[in-house]
Amino acid sequence: MIAYIIRRLLGMIPMLFAITVFVFLMMHLAPGNAIEAMINPRIKDIAALKQQLEIQNGLNLPLPLQYWHWLINVLHGNFGWSFGQHEEVTQLLGPAMYNTLILAVLSEILILLIGIPVGILQARSPYGKFDYTVSTASFVLFSVPYYVFAIFLIYLFAIHWHVFPAQNSVGTGPLAGTFVDHIWHAMLPAISIALTNNTVYSRYTRGSMLDVARQDYVRTARAKGIPERVVYSKHVFRNARIPIVTQLGFDLGGLLGGAVIIEGLFSYQGMGYLTITAVSQRDYPVIMATTLIFAVCVLLGNLVADILTAVVDPRVRYN
Amino acid sequence: MADVVDKVEPVVSVRDLRTYFIHKAEEVRAVDGIDLDVYRGQIVCIVGESGSGKSMTALSLMRLVPKPRGKIVSGKIMFHGVDIMQLSEAEMTKLRGNEISMIFQEPMTALNPVLTIGDQIAEVLVHHRRVGKRETTAKAVEMLQFVGVPRAEQVLREYPHQLSGGMRQRVMIAMAMICEPKVLIADEPTTALDVTIQTQVLQLMRKMRDDFGTSIILITHDLGVVADMADQVIVMYAGQVVESANADALFEEPLHPYTIALLKSVPTIDQETEVLYYIPGSVPDATEFPTGCRFADRCPLAMASCFETAPEVREVRPGHLVRCHLVD
Amino acid sequence: MAEVLLEVEGLKKYFPIQSGLLRRTVGHVKAVDDVSFQLNYGETLGIVGESGCGKSTTGRMLMRVMEPTAGRIVFDGQDLTKLRGKQLKAVRRNFQMVFQDPYASLNPRMSIQDIISEPLVVNGIVTAKQSEPIVVQLLETVGLRARDRFRYPHEFSGGQRQRIGIARALSLHPKLIVADEAVSALDVSIQAQILNLMVSLKSEFNLSYIFISHNLAVVKHISDRIAVMYLGHIVELATKDEFYNHPLHPYSEALLSSVLTPSRKVRRERIILTGDVPNPANPPRGCPFHTRCPKVMQECRVTRPVLRDIRAGHSIACHLHA
Ligand SMILES: Nc1ncnc2c1ncn2[C@@H]1O[C@H](COP(=O)(O)OP(=O)(O)OP(=O)(O)O)[C@@H](O)[C@H]1O
Ligand SMILES: Nc1ncnc2c1ncn2[C@@H]1O[C@H](COP(=O)(O)OP(=O)(O)O)[C@@H](O)[C@H]1O
Ligand code: SF4
Ligand code: SF4
Ligand SMILES: [Mg+2]
Ligand SMILES: [Mg+2]
Repeated sequence: MIAYIIRRLLGMIPMLFAITVFVFLMMHLAPGNAIEAMINPRIKDIAALKQQLEIQNGLNLPLPLQYWHWLINVLHGNFGWSFGQHEEVTQLLGPAMYNTLILAVLSEILILLIGIPVGILQARSPYGKFDYTVSTASFVLFSVPYYVFAIFLIYLFAIHWHVFPAQNSVGTGPLAGTFVDHIWHAMLPAISIALTNNTVYSRYTRGSMLDVARQDYVRTARAKGIPERVVYSKHVFRNARIPIVTQLGFDLGGLLGGAVIIEGLFSYQGMGYLTITAVSQRDYPVIMATTLIFAVCVLLGNLVADILTAVVDPRVRYN
Repeated sequence: MADVVDKVEPVVSVRDLRTYFIHKAEEVRAVDGIDLDVYRGQIVCIVGESGSGKSMTALSLMRLVPKPRGKIVSGKIMFHGVDIMQLSEAEMTKLRGNEISMIFQEPMTALNPVLTIGDQIAEVLVHHRRVGKRETTAKAVEMLQFVGVPRAEQVLREYPHQLSGGMRQRVMIAMAMICEPKVLIADEPTTALDVTIQTQVLQLMRKMRDDFGTSIILITHDLGVVADMADQVIVMYAGQVVESANADALFEEPLHPYTIALLKSVPTIDQETEVLYYIPGSVPDATEFPTGCRFADRCPLAMASCFETAPEVREVRPGHLVRCHLVD
Repeated sequence: MAEVLLEVEGLKKYFPIQSGLLRRTVGHVKAVDDVSFQLNYGETLGIVGESGCGKSTTGRMLMRVMEPTAGRIVFDGQDLTKLRGKQLKAVRRNFQMVFQDPYASLNPRMSIQDIISEPLVVNGIVTAKQSEPIVVQLLETVGLRARDRFRYPHEFSGGQRQRIGIARALSLHPKLIVADEAVSALDVSIQAQILNLMVSLKSEFNLSYIFISHNLAVVKHISDRIAVMYLGHIVELATKDEFYNHPLHPYSEALLSSVLTPSRKVRRERIILTGDVPNPANPPRGCPFHTRCPKVMQECRVTRPVLRDIRAGHSIACHLHA
């Protein structure tokens, strides 16, 4: 297992390298020059200042060399200076990653607590009343864009009932900045993410459970005189969870990279929010950093997915 | 072998069992009026081509017909004088794996891939006998050794994919026999196995019968297996019993044209034939059986009456039942 | 003297087993290990043996759909292992394969017409239009009706599908057909129909067969010679009469004794082998059969016996008959 993880991590290196090249080139070729975005257009001698700034930032060097410098810096955890927010990019990344981590984990917990159990219950009596109701509801939920929910949730929970805050990731008052406060602020965005995902996960769980319920070994379990409840919780579920766990791993990677739209809607200061802000300011160093981190999260998510799969599936484990 | 058989009162007695698959207007009559008696220590073979209703008969006996379409629409299934059709689901659960066990054709798919062999054997004991963990393990090891699994202790910790087909079928047998059931239903237990392994497994089943007095309902499409194992034979065609007799009588003098044709079309290693005998056509569709004899369109001896009226089962000699107009 | 159609020499197929941090090859599954035999024009060679002994792998290499690790396959005087591209395509039409699973081997979305004419069209022999009369004739040859060509595989029973598979294999007038468990999935009554068909086609089209099966009775019915494989090796190779009347290899004896006959009178003395076939990734030293052989001797554990002629038309690999 450990050898497997190490092998997978080593296998990620070429991929990561390719991603850094891609991110670097993409930003370099993007329309509008970062320097221009920094300069106050009313300054007289723009050309001279531009040149000076370019030299200062190493932008006059040959491309491969620029890349090399950038890469070395990145490897030292130095993503440069945010032109937009006038701070070290690294300083911005810390809290953003923390907030996104809370949001991602909270969303996954909600999925685990709601989406999967609902799917299991649906599969216990397929085409029954509960299954039918949930399927219909899921279909409706799924066809509505999720920002519509977000707005609806804000109205209901924040404006109407005042249970959860609608904005920001930290509040004011005595609890400000504590863990509880963070969770509190992550609640609505997490519910928004989980709502849409739950429809997907419950359907997925239902499908997987029904698939497994048809397998020969489930019939064997019944023939052994195992009570129906145990047949489902043990024989069916332990097999049905394999593809779900894999999917959870993948999704965790995506969520850790930041949920751009939801974070934007709730002004939740995570990675997604940081990205939007940076994009609107053409703040290239920040964009490069968040893009890179997003890619790394997705790769790590894949790895987590594979490890989780191996944990729940002995056939993979012993290979 | 016959001295093990105790013919006083049947352990299992089935009368007019009908199991249909009903979906919308369509009705698949998988099992269409089966009678069956199994005595203590007897090996009853049910033989027939694929689709003749062998597996559904077996699953009906366990009341495990695939839901929601499959349904036992009528019939009596007596087990030790109790009609199991009247039992609640909870009572039935207590019977399965404990008094009546079943093993299946595909040892590759019949074991749960994510649970250890030990876990899968132990849970049978856990649910039917209230025994401690240590005792369970000891019993599981003993059973695995009995069915001839080497390194039994190690195998308990292994997963199905780590075992060969023959080993898995032994594990299935160990699992089915651990509560010492009165009846073992084996649905094509050796069809997926190699001949040398088939020999081992059949030998093991015979030993089960001899040592425990277990009655065995052995389902197969292989007449060679029937000749080797059976005390009593039931030949099925299109959901019905067409012939039922003591094994010696059946092989000595088969009476139903289908049985005769089936026996003739098997190539054997003892005789030389240029052209194999074969039965033309194929089994009728179970959704629309003909009104007359179900074998009529393939039967070399069919008469006009065969296409009009369906033959009834008749006791031609003591214990030898045949469904054919020729013996009327 | 009969003419040799196919000559196989030292055929091997090793599948690498990879493991460890760098996925290095740590060993090999020796699926086929040094197999040699000849097949004459118009002859049927039956290959028997237990699951995993390398029957299908041998068949696939002969069909050139799998690259051998080593060995020569001389077909009609040409070494197939040396041919590539166009040349290979040109000889390929001379050998065809029929598979076990009549359900999986036909594309469910293609009509019977398309399935049977595919080899003809792909090889540029006729256009799809011109193929119609040929397909009709082939269908009639295998006992189906001309109008069946408009139907799709799911509308046919297992036996009928196997007929379709045979019609497809015949379309290019091959000289050799490799049938891999072609009747194993069929009911006895249907199996007999297909076996009869294959026998009659053989003389009609002057075919040679390699008939792979685990069923010794079926193989006896159709074959002229028998090859018994065990763990990738041929352990006995003999004419049908020799093999069924005087099997010499202890494994063949055990196999034959395990065959069940639908009769209460014929009761063979059964040789019950202990244990399973060893893992081909880790075959035993010496004779591959020594772990289960009832007649094992000291020598068997050390040196592997080679296949050699015992008498005309009968060779075995066993130290008992050295
Ligand atoms: N593509 C492959 N990669 C690795 N191993 C393989 C591959 N194909 C076959 N093998 C192995 O090679 C051996 C021979 O396989 P083969 O399919 O030829 O057996 P067979 O004699 O046809 O068996 P069966 O009767 O089950 O069809 C087996 O151990 C099998 O697991
Ligand atoms: N799940 C199912 N749904 C509908 N029909 C079925 C199902 N299972 C079996 N059948 C039908 O029931 C009949 C008997 O099947 P089965 O008992 O499995 O035959 P056997 O075991 O003799 O091969 C066949 O016609 C088959 O098509
Ligand atoms: S009733 Fe008629 S058709 Fe049916 S088996 Fe007897 S002779 Fe044949
Ligand atoms: S060589 Fe030895 S072990 Fe191998 S088959 Fe002959 S007697 Fe048995
Ligand atoms: Mg069946
Ligand atoms: Mg094969």
